[in-house]
Amino acid sequence: MKKFRLIALAIVCILSMACFFACDKDNSSIEESAPQSSIDETPAHVCEFGDWQVVTAATCAAEGTKQRVCIAEGCDKGVDGAPKVETDAIEKLPHTWDNEKHQQVTASTCAVKGEAMRTCTVCGYEDKIALDLLPHTWNHEELIHDEAYGTTTCTFAGKKTRTCTVCEKEEAEFEALLPHNLVDGVCSLCGLDATKSYTYKTYTAVSPSNWNELTYRDNNDTQIMSYLGSPFFEADFDFGGKEAKEENIVPGGFTVKYSFAKALEDITSQYVGKYGIEEGDTSLVWKITIREDGKWQNGDPIVAEDFVYTMKEQLNPLFRNYRADSYYAGTVNLFGAREYVYQGHTVVQSARYKHEHWDEAAMADSSIYFDLDSAGSGIIQWLIGNGYGSYVDNNGGIWLLEALGYLPSSYTRPLQGKTYAEIMADENLTALFNAVVGWWKTLPDEELDFFCYNYTYPAYAWAAEDGTPNVGIWAASKYEIVLCLTKGIELLDADGNLTYHCFYEFSSLPLVHKATYEANKVAPATEGGLWTSTYNSSLESTMSWGPYKLTAFQAGKYYSLEKNTNWYGYTANLYPGQYQTTRIECETITSYETAFLKFLSGELTGIGIDVAKAPTYKHSERAYFTPDDYVDSIQLQSDRVALEDRQEEGINKLLLIYKDFRKALSLSINRTEYTSTCTTSSLPGFGIFNSMHYHDVANGGVYRNTDVAKQVICNVYGVDVDEYFDLDEAYAAVTGYDLAQAKELLTKAYNEALANEDIKATDKVVLTYGASVDNETVRRRYEYLKKSFETLAVGTPLEGRLTCDFDASFGSKWADDFRDGAYDICQGGWSGAAWDPGYFLMAYVSPDYMYSTAWATDQHETEITVHGVKVEEGKYVVTNNAADSFTATMPIYGDIADEGYNTNWYQLLNNEFRDGVLNNEFRLEMIGGIEQEILGVYYTVPVSYNFGASLISYQVDYITYEYNTFNAYGGIQYMTYHYSDADWAAYVKANGLDYTV
Amino acid sequence: MYMFKYVLKRFGLMLMSFFVIMTMCFVLIKMLPIVVDVAIGKDAEILKMQIEARGYNDPILEQYFRYIYRIVFEGDWGIGINMPEFRGKPVWDTFVTMLPPTVLINVYSSLFAVPLGILLGIYAALRKNKWQDHVVSTLVMVLISVPGYVIAFLLQYFLCFKWKIFPLTMKEGYDYFTWDMFKSMMPAVLAMSFGSIAGYARFTRAELTEILTSEYLLLARTKGLTRRQSITRHALRNAMVPIFPSIIAEFISVLSGSLIIEQIFSIPGVGRLYLTAINSQDYDFFMMLSAFYTFIGLAAGIVVDISYGFIDPRIRMGAR
Repeated sequence: MKKFRLIALAIVCILSMACFFACDKDNSSIEESAPQSSIDETPAHVCEFGDWQVVTAATCAAEGTKQRVCIAEGCDKGVDGAPKVETDAIEKLPHTWDNEKHQQVTASTCAVKGEAMRTCTVCGYEDKIALDLLPHTWNHEELIHDEAYGTTTCTFAGKKTRTCTVCEKEEAEFEALLPHNLVDGVCSLCGLDATKSYTYKTYTAVSPSNWNELTYRDNNDTQIMSYLGSPFFEADFDFGGKEAKEENIVPGGFTVKYSFAKALEDITSQYVGKYGIEEGDTSLVWKITIREDGKWQNGDPIVAEDFVYTMKEQLNPLFRNYRADSYYAGTVNLFGAREYVYQGHTVVQSARYKHEHWDEAAMADSSIYFDLDSAGSGIIQWLIGNGYGSYVDNNGGIWLLEALGYLPSSYTRPLQGKTYAEIMADENLTALFNAVVGWWKTLPDEELDFFCYNYTYPAYAWAAEDGTPNVGIWAASKYEIVLCLTKGIELLDADGNLTYHCFYEFSSLPLVHKATYEANKVAPATEGGLWTSTYNSSLESTMSWGPYKLTAFQAGKYYSLEKNTNWYGYTANLYPGQYQTTRIECETITSYETAFLKFLSGELTGIGIDVAKAPTYKHSERAYFTPDDYVDSIQLQSDRVALEDRQEEGINKLLLIYKDFRKALSLSINRTEYTSTCTTSSLPGFGIFNSMHYHDVANGGVYRNTDVAKQVICNVYGVDVDEYFDLDEAYAAVTGYDLAQAKELLTKAYNEALANEDIKATDKVVLTYGASVDNETVRRRYEYLKKSFETLAVGTPLEGRLTCDFDASFGSKWADDFRDGAYDICQGGWSGAAWDPGYFLMAYVSPDYMYSTAWATDQHETEITVHGVKVEEGKYVVTNNAADSFTATMPIYGDIADEGYNTNWYQLLNNEFRDGVLNNEFRLEMIGGIEQEILGVYYTVPVSYNFGASLISYQVDYITYEYNTFNAYGGIQYMTYHYSDADWAAYVKANGLDYTV
Repeated sequence: MYMFKYVLKRFGLMLMSFFVIMTMCFVLIKMLPIVVDVAIGKDAEILKMQIEARGYNDPILEQYFRYIYRIVFEGDWGIGINMPEFRGKPVWDTFVTMLPPTVLINVYSSLFAVPLGILLGIYAALRKNKWQDHVVSTLVMVLISVPGYVIAFLLQYFLCFKWKIFPLTMKEGYDYFTWDMFKSMMPAVLAMSFGSIAGYARFTRAELTEILTSEYLLLARTKGLTRRQSITRHALRNAMVPIFPSIIAEFISVLSGSLIIEQIFSIPGVGRLYLTAINSQDYDFFMMLSAFYTFIGLAAGIVVDISYGFIDPRIRMGAR
C-alpha cells in the first residue's frame, strides 16, 4: 500500500512537471510542421519595373507625379489586364525668394508684433513671420509701492507697480504681509487666533500608493500629489479686478496667473536652424523665469537646474517611467525626449516603416521576418478592423486564424520566423507563401503587411560633447528654464497675456528633491531589469514644495497633511486671505454607508449623495451639484463572430448586428425616467459630448450649445426641425424616447433577420449585460434597461422573447472583455480631453480605444462640408473665410502612417485643420459630422450626462456654489471655516447635525 | 516513535504538496495574457518596455527559477505592480504591515467567542428542553441566520453612531495595544464574534446532549460519581474531541481576515488582499499570498490531525 502511494505521488509530480513544460510559451517545435499537400504550387508572377518617367513636373507650388511600368513578360496585374503601373509623387521644388532674408513690413512695438516678409518670384508665395516685441519703457526702473491701493498690514497686502509709458501696460507685484503681533497666540492687530486649527476631513475608497510625479498612475495618487507641488501658472476666478469675494466672481469667467513662474518669453526665433526650427516658427522654444524664493519643505532652495535634473530622471531609459510619455506623446513634447526614452529598446516594426514598396531583392537581403505573433502585424490589425477582434489575444496568437477556418496552422507555422530569402530558397515554403499572399492580397504592396523586423533604437545622449543639449530642456541661468518643443503651444496671446493653455496643458513641470530621490532609487533584481523608485511613496520618502506637506501616512488607512510654512505662496503672501485650512486628514473607507455615518457625525467635511439617499438629502440646503464631462452610455456588441459563438440552441444574440434593432433599443429607453430612477442628479444624455466639452475655451464656447451640435442630436433622434419654431425649440423637444417607432424598428429588424436566417421564429433573444461588480447601483441600471427592452417587445413578434441576463464576473477587465466579445451590453464611456472634443473623438473611432471593435471606422465614409478652407490644385488651403468651403466624402477615421493626412476626417481635424489653424466655428462642422456618424450606427447609445450630487458640512463653505469649469468651487484654496475644530466638535455634541433640511 | 514518523511523513508530504501547488499557481497565473491598460493618449510602448524589463516576456520556466532563486537566496518576494494601493511596494513588507490588525481583531474575537459559545452550549445542554435551552437555541438560530454584515451594520449604527459608545471606524496608527485602539476595534470584534458564539454554542450543545444520554455516563453515575463529576470528567472531555480541532482551525483562520467586516469598520487588514491581487493580476502579491495561505492551510491540517491524539489518548496516528 505504501509503495502504491509513493508511485501515485510520483505520477502526480511527473504530471505536474509535464503540465509545466507543456504550458511554456516557447512552442518552438511546432514551427517545423510540414505544409499541407493541397497548396497551389504555381509560382506567382513577380513584377519587374522599368525606370520612372515624369508625368507632371514638380514646381515650387505643387508636387509632380511620376510613373513606372512593369516590364516583365506577360504582366497583367494592371488595369484591365494591362502591365502593372506604379505612380508616385515628386517632391515640390524649393521656392526662389526675392530676398534671402525676410524684409520688415511693419515694425514691432512693445504691444504689437511687427511683420516681415519675403516673396517667391516664381509662384508668388508670401512667407510671413512675426517679429519679436520691443521691450517696455517703464516709468520706473523698479516696482514701487502703490499708495492709492492701500498700506500693507498683517491682513491686507499692498502692491508695487510700474507702468509702460508707451502702451500703458501695468506690471504689479503684491507686497508681503506684515507679521502678526501675537500675544498668547492672538494677534493684537487683527484678532487672529493662531492657536485654532481648521481641518479638512475627507475620505477615499482607495488609498494612494505612489505620489511620485514621474510614475503616478491614477487619481488615487494625485490626491496627495496635488498638495505637494506648485503650478507655474494657474487658473483663477475672474473677480473683475475687485476683491476675491463671491459677489465679485464673473460667471463662467477665468483668469490665468503666474504662480511659481515669474515671466514667460517665446524665444523660438533665437533657435532657427537648430532643433528642427525653421524661420517663421513660433511658440516652440519658451524661456520660463521662476521665482527666486522657491523652497522645499526642509528649506532647500529650488533652482532651474532642479527641473532639468528631474526631467532627465523622468525620461531615464533605465526606469521606463510611466509618465515619461507626457513629454513626447502628449501636448508638451520636448525635442529629443522620445529618442532619449526609447534608446536601446527593441520593437517589432511593420515592413512598411522600412520599405516604401514591395521589392523582392531588398526583402531577401533584409532582416525582415514573417511574424504573425506581433501585435503590429497587418494581419492582426486586419482581424480587429474586420470584426474578428475576439479572436485576437494580446499576443496576437496564430490560433486565431485557425479558429476562423481561413488559415490552417500548417499554412502559417512553417512560415513563422522565416526571412523572405529563406522562404524563397525552399520550394514548399515558397508555394505556401504564394498561396497565403495570393489569397490575401487585394491592394498593391500588401505583402509588406506580412513582414516585420526588429528595430533597436540607437543610443541618444542627453547632451552633445560640447554641452549642447540634445533634449529640449536646459537651464539658461539659475532661475531660467528653456523648453524646446516639437509642437508649438500658444502660451501667450498677441498681447503677451497668458492663455488658457498655460494651466490646461502646461501648468507645471515635474520636480523631485534630488537627494531624496537618489536615496530612494531601487536597483533591479536582475541585470538589465527595471530600475524603480520609492520616492514619494511613504512619509520618509516624501518632500513637498507645495502648500501642504505630508505629516502621516499609513497604507490602506490614513494620511494627513499640514501647512508647509516654507511655501513661497505663504512667505511671499501671494494668496492673502486664502488657504485657511491648516490641516488635511483623509481616511480610507471602502464602505459608503460607513463614510456617510461619519459625515452625519461631523467627522467628514463633505460626501457624495448616493442615489439611494437622494430622496432624503438631494434637497438639503447643504447639497450642491457638479457637472462632469463623463457621458454614461450603453455600448452594444458589434462583433458578429463573438455573438454567434455565444448563441445556444433557442437563444439568439445575432439580432444585435441589425442597426434597426440597436436603434430600437435606443429609442426604448426613457432617459428622463432612467436618470431619475438610476442616478442622483444626472440629466438625460443624447450625444457623446455634454455641457463640459468646450470647442472654444478662450471664448467660453460649449460644443453642445452650438447649432451644429444641436442639429446632430435632432438628426440622430429623428426630430424634424422644420416642425418647430427654430432649432433651439426642436432641440429642446428631443427626448430620445419613442416607443412606437422603436417597436416598428424592432419588427423590421426581426423580419429581416428571419429572412436572412439569422434568427429562428422560436428563438429567444437574450442580451447579456456585463459588469465589473454586482452592487445595488449596477443592478438598478440593469433592471431598468431590462424592463425597457422587455416593454419594447410587447406587441411585436418578439413579445415575451426579448430579455436580458446579468453577468458581473468581468472585474477590472470588463472593458477589454467587452471588446473581445465576451458579452453583449456594457455600460461605460470616456472622460477627459474635455477642452479638445476633436481629439476626444478618438475614443469612439480609433480601434485602440473604441468599444465597438468590429465597426470598421476606416471604411465608414461620410460627406461633410467644411467652411474656411478651399481646395487649390488638390490641396487644402486654410483661409478661415466663411465664403470658402469644400465638400468631400471620406472615412471618418484612418491611420496617419498608412493613409496620409488628407484621407480621413479625424486626421484632418487633428492635423491640417487642428485647433489654432482652422477657426473653431469651422472645425465644429467636422466634429459634428463625426459625432453624427458615431451616434448613427447605434453601437454607443448615450443615456445620461453625469452630474454628481454632494453634501458639504456646516463647518465650512466654498467661495461659490456656481460651478466654474476652470476653477470648480475654489477648492481648499478659497474654503472658509465657520467653526474651528474645537468649536465644531462642541457644536456637534451640543446640537447634533441634520442635513435633511 | 510512530507519532514522530507520522509527523515527519506528513511534513514531507506537505512540502511536496506545497511545491506542486505553488508551481501550478505560478504557471497558471503566468499563462493569463498580460493586460496592457492604455488610456487615451498614453504610449502603450512604454508599458510594454516595463513588461519586457520586468522579464514578463521570458519563458515561464526561466521566470519561475528566477522567482524561486530570489525568494530563497535574497528573501525577495517581489513588489506590487497593479494593485492601486500597493504599487511599487515590497509585497512581503506590505503583508506583514497589514497583518496585525487582522490578527488582533480575530484573536480578540476568538477569545471572546470560544468560551462564551462553549459555555452557552453547555448551559443549553444541561437545561435541555427547558426555557433556558429555548432562549439560547433561538438566539443561536437568529445569529446564524442573519448575515454577519447585517449584524455589523446594526452594531455600527447603534453602538457607534446613535449611542457613541465606540468610534465608527478603527483608529489610525500602529499603536495596536493602546486603550483607544482596543476600543476602536471592539465593534468589529463583536461583529465577528456573534456568528462564532452561535456556532460553538450549537455545536457544543449537540455534542454534549448526545453524550449526556450515553450509557457510559449512566455507568459513571451508577459508580457513584456526582453529576458535576461525571459531566466535567467524562462528558465534557469527550464532547471536546470534535470541538477542540475546530477551535484550532479558527485560530489559524485569523490570518485570513474578513473582507466585509474590514471594509465596514475601515480596518487596514489583509482581508481583501488576496481577492484584489487575483483581480488585478498582480503576480508577486498573488504568489506570496498563495504561498502563505497554502502553507498555513497545509500546516493547519497537520496540527489539527495531531491535536486529536492529545485530546483523546485512544486516537494514535500512524500506528499499525
